[in-house]
Amino acid sequence: MKSKRFEVLSQRMVNQDGFVKEWPEVGMVAMDGPADPKPSIKVVNGKVTELDGKQRADFDMIDTFIADHAIKLGRAEEVCNMCSIKIAKMLCDVNVSREEIVAITTAMTPAKICEVMSKLNVVEMMMAMQKMRARRTPSIQCHITNVKDNPVLIAADAAEGSYRGFSEMETTVGIARYAPFNAIAILLGAQVGSPGVMTQCAVEEATELELGIRGITSYAETVSIYGTEPVFIDGDDTPWSKAFLASAYASRGLKMRFTSGTGSEVLMGYAEGKSMLYLEARCVFIAKGAGVQGLQNGSISCIGVPGAVPSGIRAVLAENLIASCLDLEVASGNDQTFSHSDMRRTARLLMQFLPGTDYICSGFSGVPNYDNMFAGSNVDAEDFDDFLVIQRDLRVDGGLRPVSEEEVVALRNKAAKALQALFKELNLSIITDEEVEAATYAHGSKDMPNRDVVADLKAAGQMMDRGITGIDIVKGLAKAGYQDIANNVLNMLKQRVSGDYLHTSSFLTNDFKIVSAVNDVNDYKGPGSGYRLEGERWEQVKNIPAAVDANELV
Amino acid sequence: MDQLEKMIKDMVLEQMGKKPATSSASLGGGYTHADYPLGEKRPEVLKTPTGKSINEITLDGVISGNITSQDVRIRPETLEMQAQVAESRGRSEFASNLRRAAELIEIPDERLLEMYIALRPYQSTKQDLLNMAREMREKYNANITASLVEEAAQVYESRGRLKKA
Repeated sequence: MKSKRFEVLSQRMVNQDGFVKEWPEVGMVAMDGPADPKPSIKVVNGKVTELDGKQRADFDMIDTFIADHAIKLGRAEEVCNMCSIKIAKMLCDVNVSREEIVAITTAMTPAKICEVMSKLNVVEMMMAMQKMRARRTPSIQCHITNVKDNPVLIAADAAEGSYRGFSEMETTVGIARYAPFNAIAILLGAQVGSPGVMTQCAVEEATELELGIRGITSYAETVSIYGTEPVFIDGDDTPWSKAFLASAYASRGLKMRFTSGTGSEVLMGYAEGKSMLYLEARCVFIAKGAGVQGLQNGSISCIGVPGAVPSGIRAVLAENLIASCLDLEVASGNDQTFSHSDMRRTARLLMQFLPGTDYICSGFSGVPNYDNMFAGSNVDAEDFDDFLVIQRDLRVDGGLRPVSEEEVVALRNKAAKALQALFKELNLSIITDEEVEAATYAHGSKDMPNRDVVADLKAAGQMMDRGITGIDIVKGLAKAGYQDIANNVLNMLKQRVSGDYLHTSSFLTNDFKIVSAVNDVNDYKGPGSGYRLEGERWEQVKNIPAAVDANELV
Repeated sequence: MDQLEKMIKDMVLEQMGKKPATSSASLGGGYTHADYPLGEKRPEVLKTPTGKSINEITLDGVISGNITSQDVRIRPETLEMQAQVAESRGRSEFASNLRRAAELIEIPDERLLEMYIALRPYQSTKQDLLNMAREMREKYNANITASLVEEAAQVYESRGRLKKA
């Protein structure tokens, strides 16, 4: 006989997910790997001679970079000898300020910070995150992509996305040569929906940097780093080349962060028998040492790996927390399809959503799952209303706001029309009225007519050859009668003259005021302090369109 | 806010026993978080690479051709100010990155990209990297970045990540 109960359970979505038992030898262990090094540091004449059980002569490339760039040595030996339980308690003690803790955590070694993390359960980690994230105000980022690389749809989706409250938006491509169009479309759409929203186009390094230099994007984050030397080398980089690239971006006035995440080393076959969190801690230290302002982590595209092992989702929260403890901006993942189970993906989201991070999702999918070219997200366009209700239920600010259909339709239409006009001004390929109409009302690319891809790619290539820059976009929009959008795009370009947005955890408000961990320092010290969802913002979050007004019932 | 107005405001605040965050920049020293955002609090010190004031960046300026893509770039002086702001928040590593960035502004886009590629594993001999560091020092006065490249040359050598000669 077969149990009917077990038959029902076997059909539940969660049982379509993959789970594996720990296998530390290949790195299939989330935290506290049996082969993880014990914390240690020796400093002689201002130079680290021993790090986490290794002598300098035995250092690999990553040990060397961390030892020479990433640890504040003044208190390093003292901190290494402090009781890890005591530090863990300080992390979730509301009476100990962020500043006091940063002085300790930035003097730690990778193994020490992992030891501290291992003392915390997820609620304690969330308490710590609430205090340790660099910026006081939490925020959120989205992906705007589609399988057809249709720029009209990207512009419309970007307008909707920025209006819904995302303060950063990221696109990428199916076909690499579409990159210039996708980048222009997301830039324009963003400035239609809510001025000041920053945009990026994740493509290979040279093109990504070039789009940034030309003023078509304002930030970059897909600059990957890894926790073991062989994987770093396989990725065709070193900590030094990536540090140089970081400075190259800043020299062109572009905001940037690195990307890393638990599980990448296992996937690439060189985990060296260490736990995922220990290897990720090394990445966070590399980011710190390279001097980037922030890090996108939280497993990211490898979420299936920590997701499959015990305590894996706890490790993902721990890696976000380590980034915050090192005083870096954290764009905390929740950006790739993680589970078939709605319950499980919500539980995974709450780890960052409840305490708030600098960017809770580093890719909420602003488009349907099938259109997400980053392999889907943990939360997609279909989840907009669920997310808004959870914000309202729990009185937690996830960064999004309720919207009406009329407003969204109008903005989508405006963005699509403006892109049509801009393409005409810049002599790019043709956008038809039919496409504008379709993009206005579309849910995804299935609702869009097909474009002439050959003509698009030719025009995109010519656009790059002709040296079109952000200034040409401003001129084109103004000439086409879109003075307001032209002004907004120009204001984005103006940011690179002041460089204010280069700082840790920045975003821009819709009147181009900068909010970052320099002027919006997280001052959480328990109840009554720190960021609170209140006032106008709470009124906004409360008023979801589905809520019935009792006065109108009588 | 003009200097006089600021002075008066500071005096009033001090009278009230409520000292404002010290803005040593206004005393001619370094910049701190009190000067941040520079775009709002210190627009008078922000210039474009062609020497225009940040406030000259307007739509009319773009349409008339007075503002070009050369103007919407950052200057080394501005990155140095931002590095000081970062230091005032204890972010010395980030400040170093901004200082390297200040040095790289002068390097043309194409050469900058070549330098990045040269720093990738197995792309350069030790001598290639040392020559590149010398070019940085001599041609661009990029001394901090040159040190980073020399350091990379040492590490790549000891870890066998140089181009096979």
